[in-house]
Amino acid sequence: MFGGALPYILLSPLVVFIGALSFVPTVDTTVEAFFRVSPLNPPTQFTGLGNFRALFASSAVTTAWVNTAGYVVIGVVLSVVLGTVIALALRQRFRFRGIILALVILPWALPAVVEAVVWSWIYDPTFGVMNSALHSAHLIGGYHVWLGLDRWLTIALIEIVQVWQITPLSAIVILAALQSVPLDLYEAARVDGAGPVQSFWRISLPMIRPALAVCTVEALVLSLNIFDQVYILNGIAPLGSSVMLQTYVTTFQNLNFGGGYALSLLITLATALLSVAALALLYRRPEAV
Amino acid sequence: MASAGSTGRTSRAVTRMAAGPAGRALSGRPARALGRIVAIVVILLWSLFPIYWALNTSLTTQSGANSAPAHYFPSPLVSASYRAVFGIGGAGNGISGQLGRSLLNSVVESGAAMVITVVIAILAAYAFARLQFRFKRIIFVSVLATLLLPAYATLIPLYRIMASLSLVNTYLAVILVYVSGFLPLAIWILYNYFNTIPPELEEAAFVDGASPARALLQVVIPVAMPGIAAAAIIAFLLGWAQFLFPLILTTDLSTQPVTVIVAALDQQRIVPFTLLMACGVIAAAVPGVLALVLNRYIVQGVTAGSVK
Repeated sequence: MFGGALPYILLSPLVVFIGALSFVPTVDTTVEAFFRVSPLNPPTQFTGLGNFRALFASSAVTTAWVNTAGYVVIGVVLSVVLGTVIALALRQRFRFRGIILALVILPWALPAVVEAVVWSWIYDPTFGVMNSALHSAHLIGGYHVWLGLDRWLTIALIEIVQVWQITPLSAIVILAALQSVPLDLYEAARVDGAGPVQSFWRISLPMIRPALAVCTVEALVLSLNIFDQVYILNGIAPLGSSVMLQTYVTTFQNLNFGGGYALSLLITLATALLSVAALALLYRRPEAV
Repeated sequence: MASAGSTGRTSRAVTRMAAGPAGRALSGRPARALGRIVAIVVILLWSLFPIYWALNTSLTTQSGANSAPAHYFPSPLVSASYRAVFGIGGAGNGISGQLGRSLLNSVVESGAAMVITVVIAILAAYAFARLQFRFKRIIFVSVLATLLLPAYATLIPLYRIMASLSLVNTYLAVILVYVSGFLPLAIWILYNYFNTIPPELEEAAFVDGASPARALLQVVIPVAMPGIAAAAIIAFLLGWAQFLFPLILTTDLSTQPVTVIVAALDQQRIVPFTLLMACGVIAAAVPGVLALVLNRYIVQGVTAGSVK
């Protein structure tokens, strides 16, 4: 009855947009990664793996990859664990829970760049509140320069800014999953003598596993492609550089478009492969009980 | 939040059961309640302290902000930063013009991207949810697969496409790129929402002789308003937060959104943090207020389909 043209008419704007501005560019990136593309120095030539070899000969690029691995590990672990803790704390209904949830979501809704500027002031070496608070609590003897000196401290502190932004997303998704767990499971466990901790490991955790998988993949994609926070808090210094920042520098500051394409292709492949791997490992629907 | 109302009864039951045997002991209950209050205070501190800190700094003087140890309340309390960034009293120092124009650019770019995204997504999601046609599955899966790809995979080619069309530094370039990026998520949200609407609603309209287009407009869209609101607010927030795409697609104040201007002020390294925080608070106020007022739509949108 509704065959014919209607579905294709409804879909045509979508297909035009996604086709022209997602699929064509993705294919373009894949192809151009194997060409020497430099707008200041034409013509474009096929170079095979030349772009990739040049990239990995540069210590700035290899540093950026190792750094990005750090961003991902810290980002995924912290955001999923914190998201679970927040979801568990907010699972039970109480007065003001709605308002508290709305406030908890706030960091997710604000621009990452603005948040990074705020955190750069919090981390400020001379007047930052982090120094002040830690000093008042006698946890540090004097004020520290937090960013730009120690590589892994810089990476951890920058990633905390991203974790602060993305954790609300995990918390909401996990909270929704917790609330969909059938209650008779907890009742049965209680009858069998299980305490709250056992209930969490034996019931809640298996039941929210799909939600944890979704959160893991979301955190993975976001932290692998971290840019805004690094741009503001680290600048373009190699010390805390990420792959996305390196792609930006390679392409738009060094005008080596071929190198930029190659980096884009690699980070895209890494994101897709790791996402699929994480889903395959983690995403298991709870078995029917 | 979206599900709170419908699961109110069950949640109370959870409260009773999750307390478990320990919760039954007379001494257990207050301890657990206290534990929960402490947990919630810590969560709120973590979530809100940086926002409070930006407000605190924006409401004091430079010497008030540059004090060690830090003042945890604005002292002295002044509105000078806001007067300066709004250009009141002639103390504009150029920031007010940049901030005002970039806020307008953000409104235009995120607003237009939101409207176009939602319209296209409604049409497509309706087709995916309700109609049968060839290649449906492969188109659907290909569109959603782009959710697993980083947005920046297309950064360089999109820049070159816009450059070759002479669209760099136009609203159009920014809006087109946003729409292509936000469509998959909007479609996912709306597809899930349409699937919760009983088909009988439209069938009744068809019996009355309505066309599918009319059924969509007059029956489905009014019922799907919460889902549409969720897709719209999320698209707007995503647009407002964009930084890297406008950083390369815009080159001057005629199109630069507020994120690019705040980053540029920060990079100058001479703008005092009191002014930077005031700019940050203003740039964050629009999405902040939207998120607080419309948070149940956000919750509903980001959990769409994720718990199935």
